[in-house]
Amino acid sequence: MSTSLLRQALGEAVGDDESLFDEPEVNFGLLDEYSKREIRRAILTAVAVPGYQVPFGSREMPVARGWGSGGLQVSLAIVGPDDVVKVIDQGDDEGVNAVNLRRLIVSSTGIPESTTPEDSTLIQTRHRIPEDPLDERHVLVLQVPVPEPLRGVERDMRELARMHAEADYARMWVSLYEDKVRNGVITRTTGYPCLVDGRYVIATTPIPRWDVPRLHQSRFLSLFGAGREKRIYAVPPHTDVEPLTFEDVPFEVEVTPGATCRTCGSSESFLVEVPASRVDGGGHWVCSDSDWCRRRRERRDHPSNGGDS
Amino acid sequence: MNFDWALKVSGLGKIHGVPDLRALEDTGPDVGTAKSALTGAIVAAWDVGFEVAPGEALGVIGESGSGKSTVMRCIAGDQTSTTGEVLLRSLDRGRTNVLDLDPSARRRLRVADLSVVYQDPAEGLRLNVTAGGNIAEALTAAGWRHFGRIRDRAAELLERTEVPLSRMDDLVGTFSGGMRQRVQLAKALANEPPVVLLDEPTTGLDASVAAGVLDLIRNLLEETGVAAVVVSHDFAVIEMLTTRCVVMNHGRIVEAGLTDRLLEDPHHPYSQRLVGAARA
Amino acid sequence: MTEHIFSCRGLTKDFVLHTIDGRRVEALRGVDLDILPGEHVALAGSSGAGKSSLLKCIYRTYEPTSGTALLRLRSGEHVDLTRLTDQEMAHLRGRDIGYVSQFLRAEPRRGPLDIVTRAGVSRGMDRSTARDAAVHSLRRLNIDEKLWDVHASVLSGGEKQRINLAAGTISSPQLLLLDEPVSALDPANREAALDLIGDLTTQGVAVLAVFHDIEAMERLASRIVLMRNGRVEMSGDPTMVLDVLTQGATA
Repeated sequence: MSTSLLRQALGEAVGDDESLFDEPEVNFGLLDEYSKREIRRAILTAVAVPGYQVPFGSREMPVARGWGSGGLQVSLAIVGPDDVVKVIDQGDDEGVNAVNLRRLIVSSTGIPESTTPEDSTLIQTRHRIPEDPLDERHVLVLQVPVPEPLRGVERDMRELARMHAEADYARMWVSLYEDKVRNGVITRTTGYPCLVDGRYVIATTPIPRWDVPRLHQSRFLSLFGAGREKRIYAVPPHTDVEPLTFEDVPFEVEVTPGATCRTCGSSESFLVEVPASRVDGGGHWVCSDSDWCRRRRERRDHPSNGGDS
Repeated sequence: MNFDWALKVSGLGKIHGVPDLRALEDTGPDVGTAKSALTGAIVAAWDVGFEVAPGEALGVIGESGSGKSTVMRCIAGDQTSTTGEVLLRSLDRGRTNVLDLDPSARRRLRVADLSVVYQDPAEGLRLNVTAGGNIAEALTAAGWRHFGRIRDRAAELLERTEVPLSRMDDLVGTFSGGMRQRVQLAKALANEPPVVLLDEPTTGLDASVAAGVLDLIRNLLEETGVAAVVVSHDFAVIEMLTTRCVVMNHGRIVEAGLTDRLLEDPHHPYSQRLVGAARA
Repeated sequence: MTEHIFSCRGLTKDFVLHTIDGRRVEALRGVDLDILPGEHVALAGSSGAGKSSLLKCIYRTYEPTSGTALLRLRSGEHVDLTRLTDQEMAHLRGRDIGYVSQFLRAEPRRGPLDIVTRAGVSRGMDRSTARDAAVHSLRRLNIDEKLWDVHASVLSGGEKQRINLAAGTISSPQLLLLDEPVSALDPANREAALDLIGDLTTQGVAVLAVFHDIEAMERLASRIVLMRNGRVEMSGDPTMVLDVLTQGATA
């Protein structure tokens, strides 16, 4: 219903009080200062103890649980007036979820947004790390559905806490062993377990194996927020992140030999398959990072480059 | 002659309930009960002590309720004791009381210093993991990270415990009781611990299966040179596996001696009753 | 006394049977005995005389009630077997002191070669030396090579007994205790077994044996000790003692 109709309909009830139809006044970054303080403390603890899952008082957010509420709380706690925000979902800035989250952040802060990592400072993501190199200017905030790497192996909370506390990851190694025995390779795709700073094992959910090596000794800070599970963990810059694997089983990233992006021709970025369908063709590969792909195509097709394809 | 023990237990005691020492007065083999009428506590074990040297197997015999399982669980760390000293040569050369360690330190001992083989293999194994995987758990806990070598070692151990290699990648839950026990043995020996505790290792197995497992245990004990404690109510087991043993009754040791001596010349009235019943 | 390999004084064994009425059974009532290196002492006497009890008391399968039992070890040191700790005694068994009983103890699933080899290994021999010695003994005692890998439990009484003997004699102890070691053997195999035992004394092993077989005693013993009611009644030259025995039987 349009605003004018609404006004008409309620006009008698509310009289001349127009303020009801204005955008609500919110605190900078939506969260109240006490909430920000608590979340920031959790973030500081997480950065101080790399890989350790810090419990935090996850609040109800204007996004449903499971849709990035954890990442959102982290972003809103650390966002400042000088930040520029990029939000992607599956590498795509225009996914519905990404659009919603970005709008929430922008409308509660008034900061500019961008799709280019070069121009951004705060990057919130579900499922990808942007292809562009990131550095000290960037904070990467990852939305995490399941923060617990040992979840497939143990259910009991106390036992999980003990295993992390005592660095007793034998059960994780057993599950990797069983995986390799059963399938010939370690089959995990997203959420590959990694050892951070030689101490804690984390779930790198939701990023694919392709992006895991980007975390190792990175120049940027990575923060992982899990809203439903109420945990925050971090990989500070210049920290070791080693995928768990056996000495004689090298960690491999996804590779489809011969595949290139239909849009920009790249074979060195993370590609996703567009399934074949009778409606609009398909059955080809495109870059997951849509903005990177677009810029690459633009550079390639620019007249000064001779329009090389 | 000097026999350097690998395991030394002294004054081990466990009281369930109020830890009042008056309970000692009205419990024990002379009184005929482990439960104190004075304090209501149960003296499950008291003043238990023995030494075991590398290559030796010591038996702990008793009927159910004798306290033998309590003793085993207190040494293993599955139960907290009330008092006592347990020394392992492999830990600080026997100068630290294992019972004083915090739970996580005790758990670490179970990786390569002290192994336990339980009566129920399900207690020492993960049934939803393969035979090889169970052994891999012990090895990775000890720091093994090479898949090929882990697999080789697991295969070697399974072969040694006579588990068909074709079943190495089968879930232990699909194994029979005797086969599960063999896998448990393989896992217990994976990191070559100097001390192994065996709690009724063949009880509950069919007679023919038990004979095979017993034989295997005997061979393994001889070949690995571990210091072993074998807890059992079954004299045949004690006779086959041990050279010395202690007899427990209502929480106390009533007699100790060479195994064949205890079976042919028991002194204590309770020992005589026990041996007499076994022989019958 | 130092020239003897073994020497016991006043060795006594009482059993107190708590399961009956606490009654006391006296199995040995003070035994004195000396054995020199290379001596084969045969214990004779009717059953219940205390012959087996004496062997068991020396080996500590029975715990002597009182008395001393000195053994000269290979090292030259003398120890009182009645005063040793359980661990010390366990260590001596099979090394300085050997014991062969009538019965094959709990070895059902091993073959003869394995049993005898392991006996050698547990005495401190290295595996290949033990194996060679085992092969030698088994051949000597006429155990068919085809049976060397067969589980001992399916073998005959005579075969088991010979395996027992081979295992018990694989390394030469200072003192060897034998309790009816050939009772289940037929004449030919008995011959081979007695031969082997006889050789041990030639090598200097002191042997204390119980045989019910007079011929065996005659053949092997350098001295016969006649026991009765837990005591030594007479000790001396085999012919002399045996005369007394046979006279007693016919009288």
